[in-house]
Amino acid sequence: MTLELDGLTHRYGSERALNDVSLALEDGELVALLGPSGCGKTTVVQAIAGHLDPASGRVSLRGTDVTGVPPEDRNVGIVFQSPTLYPHMTVGENVAYGLESGDLTAGQVSGRVDRYLELVELADRRDASPKSLSGGEARRVELARALAPEPDVLLLDEPLSALDKGLRARLRDEIVRIQRETGVTTLFVTHDQEDAMSVADRLVVLRDGVVVAAGPPRRLYESPPNRFVASFLGRSNELSARVESDESSTVTIGGAEVALDEVPSEVTDTARATVHIRPSDLTVEAATQPDGTSGVTRDALDRSGASADGGQSDDRSRALEMRGTVTRVRDVGRRYDVRVELDLGEVVTVEMHRDKLSQSDRVTVSAAASDLSVFLVSN
Amino acid sequence: MSLVDATRSVTNSRRLPPLLAFGLLGGILLVYFALPFVAFLGRTGSVPVVETLLQAGSRTAIRNSLLTAPVATAIATVLGVPLAYVLARETFPGKRLIEALVVLPLVVPPVVGGAMLLSVVGRFTPIGAAAARVGVPVTDSLLGVVLAQTFVAAPFVVITARAGFGAVDERLEQASRSLGYGPIATFRRVSLPLASRAIVAGVVLTFARAIGEFGATMMVAYNPRTMPTRIWVDFIAGGIDAIVPLALALLAVTLVVVVTVQRFAGVPTVVDR
Repeated sequence: MTLELDGLTHRYGSERALNDVSLALEDGELVALLGPSGCGKTTVVQAIAGHLDPASGRVSLRGTDVTGVPPEDRNVGIVFQSPTLYPHMTVGENVAYGLESGDLTAGQVSGRVDRYLELVELADRRDASPKSLSGGEARRVELARALAPEPDVLLLDEPLSALDKGLRARLRDEIVRIQRETGVTTLFVTHDQEDAMSVADRLVVLRDGVVVAAGPPRRLYESPPNRFVASFLGRSNELSARVESDESSTVTIGGAEVALDEVPSEVTDTARATVHIRPSDLTVEAATQPDGTSGVTRDALDRSGASADGGQSDDRSRALEMRGTVTRVRDVGRRYDVRVELDLGEVVTVEMHRDKLSQSDRVTVSAAASDLSVFLVSN
Repeated sequence: MSLVDATRSVTNSRRLPPLLAFGLLGGILLVYFALPFVAFLGRTGSVPVVETLLQAGSRTAIRNSLLTAPVATAIATVLGVPLAYVLARETFPGKRLIEALVVLPLVVPPVVGGAMLLSVVGRFTPIGAAAARVGVPVTDSLLGVVLAQTFVAAPFVVITARAGFGAVDERLEQASRSLGYGPIATFRRVSLPLASRAIVAGVVLTFARAIGEFGATMMVAYNPRTMPTRIWVDFIAGGIDAIVPLALALLAVTLVVVVTVQRFAGVPTVVDR
């Protein structure tokens, strides 16, 4: 285990920042620590780097307890959200800075600087001033500076947040490439679920200083362990539901009943619950209704969700059906976001790929039981 | 043409500089700065400057000032810059009190400050008496001058350096720590160079204040004479014209030091662009 946090707890004054945070990084792993701003991510980074003394808990690097060890003796590389290149040194001097504190000869330092500047593809900017670099270049030099001393762990604290969108995606790929090439154990801290999911081998989700989920990104996305993860990892519709655990064993959602055994959930007791459905997992069709004027007969208007699965959309898998009225169709470029107010008052958003509906159309919204995530409401 | 019409036609024909009113108000102040300066320098001819400066009394005063002010500035810098760094970086109970203490010498009139110093190191206090007994009298000595100058001038370097350190992002220091440098090495290699301009500015201000210090010096060490105390003595004896030479010399010394320090210590922070 390269990095291990054990029961890390910290508070700023009376405010609790971290509560019993434990996580472990295997050698060479790229783990994303994901959470909304103010959830304690930076506190975790500061505690690992040694810039903060946690109230309790343990930080171990390569099996050694380093909780009381000052930052300079930890061998942890760090890249902050805001640029921290030294303006009074050249790019090369910045990268050499972390090497000169060790016992390398001048020649070794110079060779290492060249190698790491090449790694980030900025070898030709060695004598430049940091001020002359673009935002993306500055980030890469910071990566080179953090990596040059060959740290046990690399901490990236929101490394992309200050960049614009296109650059962000490019640098994200760049970080993954560099991480693969160097094999450095990396903790990538971000509030952006897209960044986190696209770079990480494993996700750790932090909320209000508590780890609420950990696991492979795809698994957390598809079967979120709790409501927070369901809504934080990608977009999600939340509907209230009631679970009947008597002989019928059904979940009642928006007036429709779904057999409980078809729904992936561990809910058993009679209880109030919430159901999460991803907008892309919902299908919307013009309603077939006796009082309908058009009398459209269940023509599927948008089958993108089903066709992507190879047309396995038989009636049985569309277990949940709810009636509603379209309140808004928003064109967001790649798709349309259709907002439907269900007859029972709740509102859902459905992603469509064709624009066939307009406001105040009567529709049927349906979803496969396997795409539902049911969570108990505890209070 | 009525006033309104006149105003309107001006507005229409040519746009007034947007900060004209500000400039006018500031201009009054500038004139007020410059006028005494010019009027004073206008008296230069009435007394032979060089001859006066070569007299024994003037030469001693110049020498004393040139001995004491740099020492006071050095003391203020060596003790003040670390204090500034602590104030910029740490939070601790009673910090507000410490900060108030730092500006206290600025708020207290120098004459009163001198009196306060006397109440600690005066000839009849335990410290003053002990110092006199071992042969280093604190009052009426160059040491007394240095103490008075340090007391009055040191806050400048503390306040300015503190602002300089405050402007250095703490993350730059954290990055340095994570790159293998301890707190002292980080201070020397990162914080100090990055705050150097502010510190130099503070040193210059402190020196200018120290070499011109009169009120506290007069209380603690009226003798030996420094340039400001000598100016006072000359003024009592011979009026304004009598002090022109020394005043010019004081001005010149201060200017030379300010310009030189800024030229040489204004550490270049920009590498090639």
